[in-house]
Amino acid sequence: MDAAATPEPQTSDVETLSPGSVRVLWAYLIVQISVFGSLAWKYEFFMLADQVYHRLLLSDPFFPAWLQSAEVVRWAYLGSLAAIILGVVGMLPWVRTLSALGQVGCLGVLLIHQASHNDMTFATSLWASIWVFWFTTRMDRDEPSELFRRGAFLSRAIASMILLGGAVGKWTPEYWSGEVFFDIYFLDRDFWVFNYLRETYDAETLRGIATWYSRKVIVVETLFGFGLWLLPPKWAAALGMAIFFSIAFFSNHLLYSVLLCLVGLSSVGFFVPKANNGS
Amino acid sequence: MDNREPHPRRDPLFVLILLGVCVVTVWLLLMPFYPAIARATMKRFHLSTDSFALWAVQAPVPAMYNFGNRYEIRDLPEGLITPVIDASRPRYINHFPTRVLTFANGRYSLLHPGQDRWVTLWSSYRGQTLITKIHAKPIGEGRFEWIRESSEFLSPEGGP
Repeated sequence: MDAAATPEPQTSDVETLSPGSVRVLWAYLIVQISVFGSLAWKYEFFMLADQVYHRLLLSDPFFPAWLQSAEVVRWAYLGSLAAIILGVVGMLPWVRTLSALGQVGCLGVLLIHQASHNDMTFATSLWASIWVFWFTTRMDRDEPSELFRRGAFLSRAIASMILLGGAVGKWTPEYWSGEVFFDIYFLDRDFWVFNYLRETYDAETLRGIATWYSRKVIVVETLFGFGLWLLPPKWAAALGMAIFFSIAFFSNHLLYSVLLCLVGLSSVGFFVPKANNGS
Repeated sequence: MDNREPHPRRDPLFVLILLGVCVVTVWLLLMPFYPAIARATMKRFHLSTDSFALWAVQAPVPAMYNFGNRYEIRDLPEGLITPVIDASRPRYINHFPTRVLTFANGRYSLLHPGQDRWVTLWSSYRGQTLITKIHAKPIGEGRFEWIRESSEFLSPEGGP
C-alpha cells in the first residue's frame, strides 16, 4: 500500500485506515455471517422440505422444467451456503468477489424456483448478498471511511426499500382492520406472545389487540421505510437492528431467517467513522 | 502510478445497485395509486403472470405480508358436497397464497395422500380482488399436474 495514495484526513476526528484494513474485513464478515445465519436458520426445515420436493413433484407449465427440479433447489441452497463459506475463508480479493457473485446467483435461482419463490428469506438474503458483492469489489481499493459511508448509505437504502415493501402491501382495509394478523397469528398460532394474549384476554379484547398490533406494524414499516435512509448512520444502524430483530422476536421465530441478514446489514452503519457520522 | 490508488468516485456498481433500489421503491410507492401495478403483483402472487419472464423480473421486489390473501382447499370439485379438509372457512395466509401447494409443509400435507385437490385463492388490495382456481391432479408416482382452471379479477377495473 502506498501511504501517499491515502487522502489526508481533514480533521483530527477522522480515523485513518488503509484499504483492506481489519475494520473493513470485520464489516464484510459480520454481514456474511448474518446472511449465513439467515439461510441456516431453517436448515432442518429445508432438509425435510428437500425430501418432500423429491417425493411430490408438481408439474406446472408456468415454470421452466429446471426451475421445478428438486435437484436444482437443493444445490442452489447448498451452493449459497458454500459460496459464503468460500468467500469468508478465501482471503484473496478475487475469491471473495467470485464467491459473492456465486452467492447472488444461487439466491437468484432460489427466488424464482417453484419450490422456494415464496420464502422471503431468499429475497432479503439476495439484497444483502448484492451489497456483499459490491463491497467485495471495493474493500481492497477504497479509502475505508468513504467506503463505510457509501456502504452504510446503501444498507440504509436497501433496508428502507424492504420496509416499504412490507408497508405498501398492507395499506389495505384487510390489514388496517387487523383481520389478517388476527387470523394468521392471534387465532391459533403457537408462539409465546399469542399464547399469552389468548390465555389473558377474552375473544373481543383479543380482536381489538390484533387491530392495534396490525396498525402498529403498518405505522412502523411506513415511518421507517420512508425515513430510515435519511437518518445518520449510527442511528439508522441501531434502529434498523432493533426493528428487524423485534419483528421476529414478537411475532414468529422462523422470521429470523428473513431478518437476520437485515440485522447484519444494518450494523454497517456502526462502522462509519465519527467524522462521517451524520454526513 | 500505483494502480491501488483509491477511486472513490468511480463506482458504477454502487450506482447500478442504488438505481435498482430506486426503481423497486418507485414501483412499490406507485402501487396504491396505479391499480395495474397492484394487479401485476396479485398475478405474481397467484403464479398467473402472462409470462414467466415478467414474473421473474418482479422476484426481487420485497412483498412480505402483502395483500389480504386467503385460500380454501377442497377434496372435491366446487359445487359438489361439503369438502372434508379445512371446511370451516377460507384462511388468511401472509403472501404468495400458492405456497399452500408449492411450499414444503403445504405440499406435503395436501399432496401426500395422493388424491385430487382443488384450491381457491383470493388476493385483495384496496378494492381489487383476484380469484384463482387450481386443480392439483395426481398423475402417478408422486407426480401432480397443476391445472389452472381460472384466474380472474372481481373488480370492474380489473376484469379480464
